[in-house]
Amino acid sequence: MNEASLTALLLTLQYASLATAIVFVPGMLIAYVLARFSFPGKVFVSALTSLPLVLPPTAVGYLLLQMLATDGMLGREILGFDLDILLTGKAVILACAVMSAPLIVRTARIAFEGVNARYEAMARTLGYGPVETFLRFTFPLAARGLLAAMILGFTRAMGEFGVTVTIAGNIPGVTQTLASAIFSAQQVGNDHEANFLVLVALATGFCAILAAEFLSMRGARSRKSP
Amino acid sequence: MSNGHEIQAQLNLPLDRFTLSVDFKLHRHVTAIFGVSGSGKTSLLEAVAGLRRDAQGVLRLGDQLWQDSSRGIFVPPECRNIGYVPQDDLLFPHRNVRANLQLGQRRARRQGQDVEALQQEVITLLELDALLERRIDTLSGGERQRVALGRALCSGPRLLLMDEPMAFLDLGMRRRLLPFLRTIREAFDIPMLLVSHDPIEVQALCDDLVVLRDGRVIAQGEPRITLMQASRDAAELAHLVENVVPCRFDRHEGEASLVRIGHAGDGPLLTLPRVSEAAARSQMIAVRSQDIILSITRPKGLSARNILPGMVRRVAAAGKKHLVFCTVNGSEVELAVEVTVTSLRELDLKPETPVFLIIKATTLELC
Repeated sequence: MNEASLTALLLTLQYASLATAIVFVPGMLIAYVLARFSFPGKVFVSALTSLPLVLPPTAVGYLLLQMLATDGMLGREILGFDLDILLTGKAVILACAVMSAPLIVRTARIAFEGVNARYEAMARTLGYGPVETFLRFTFPLAARGLLAAMILGFTRAMGEFGVTVTIAGNIPGVTQTLASAIFSAQQVGNDHEANFLVLVALATGFCAILAAEFLSMRGARSRKSP
Repeated sequence: MSNGHEIQAQLNLPLDRFTLSVDFKLHRHVTAIFGVSGSGKTSLLEAVAGLRRDAQGVLRLGDQLWQDSSRGIFVPPECRNIGYVPQDDLLFPHRNVRANLQLGQRRARRQGQDVEALQQEVITLLELDALLERRIDTLSGGERQRVALGRALCSGPRLLLMDEPMAFLDLGMRRRLLPFLRTIREAFDIPMLLVSHDPIEVQALCDDLVVLRDGRVIAQGEPRITLMQASRDAAELAHLVENVVPCRFDRHEGEASLVRIGHAGDGPLLTLPRVSEAAARSQMIAVRSQDIILSITRPKGLSARNILPGMVRRVAAAGKKHLVFCTVNGSEVELAVEVTVTSLRELDLKPETPVFLIIKATTLELC
């Protein structure tokens, strides 16, 4: 394994972790609101949060590119300063965050829906306010499902390619991730390198899915109390 | 009960089939909210607990105003100081029994209560010592309900709300739990609301009874009399007339146990199949009105173990049936006996008719 591949792998782990960390808390809160409350436009919000799951990643990348371009919504001409995101590590994190958010929101929502809302009512009668009820009761009761959400989100971030190459490019040592390194290795015919990188991707992906499956299975069983 | 414990409720709450609409004042120690399934009992309890934000109206406990919709006042459930025992116990599966009992302690401590002493008292009364370190999913149905009751009491509530605490238990377990509820009743001088559709439970535990039907109060008052009235007015309640009378355990005799009925425990003896030592501590015995036979002559050669001389006091119609109320000689106990119109006519039953009440031992239940 050459140094460029190792750098790509380490960068990918770093970017995917950061992206998951940034998206997890807001994603979980959106999931909780979607699981517990009904409000006008709920279906719309729900659909919007799932949209990146069904759009071609290059389309999502293109939209972000348009927004971040000099004359875009978040560009220098409107903001008055440069966010300096495109073609940097920040762009990779943004790409990973946008693409893993739908998985986190959907999985966390299922985790919250699996917690009987009457437990929350019970906690309220025992003297706990709404925020404390969430932190002390809802959160631990949904913990397994939330961990599964985090793992799935992280894995999705690890594998991100389409949005990343569109807004961050494929710069070795800066924005080249596992996925784009595989692409590059295959393009130049370096099968040995490609094989190794694919093996790493396979191993991490498989472990993550197994862990998530295991967690949601255990979660479902522990909730079966009468 | 002092006036500080009075519950005053004028509530309206839209439900699926009808609008729950009640207006009552409760000032007795234990009040039963009674009615068939789907009559709005649970929703009423939840509204009192503050768990139904869509309920409109006025609600007070003593001098505390919990809700006044016209003035925009709504005290959230965490500030109402209630102990809530739901049907499905809702024990937290991620904590053990001790931790579940301690969940409401913080509130009790804030009010300056001695939480350690309170917890010890509750553990003793409900016999929870052996369960403290157990995981929730290893408990039986009856144990779960005792823990749920204990958790509510350990929070030092000003009002105890119990939603059919025995609904998911089989009959044997219910009869074992009932003495615990009686103990709690004696030990805690706080108002209690008990949702129930079990006439035995209601008569054994409650001082006041509110009968709900399709979201409205159709009767309120002393449990036995109110049940009678309700069963006369509403055909679906007609089967609910049960006799629950005070008794005191006397002795075991081979395969049988004997109890004396009457408030002082000095009335005639009743024989029933041998009961456990725990059941022998019960102070109430139940017999359904349809399980008693009346005879105007002393019967001979009968298998029934209990033949009590008594006298007809009054006859009342209940739905399509008739109830004959008889006193039992040698006690102040009055039993309702269900008879058909034909029997009533043929035996010529009217006040002052001397009769014999025949009760099979196996139909008697201590509670």
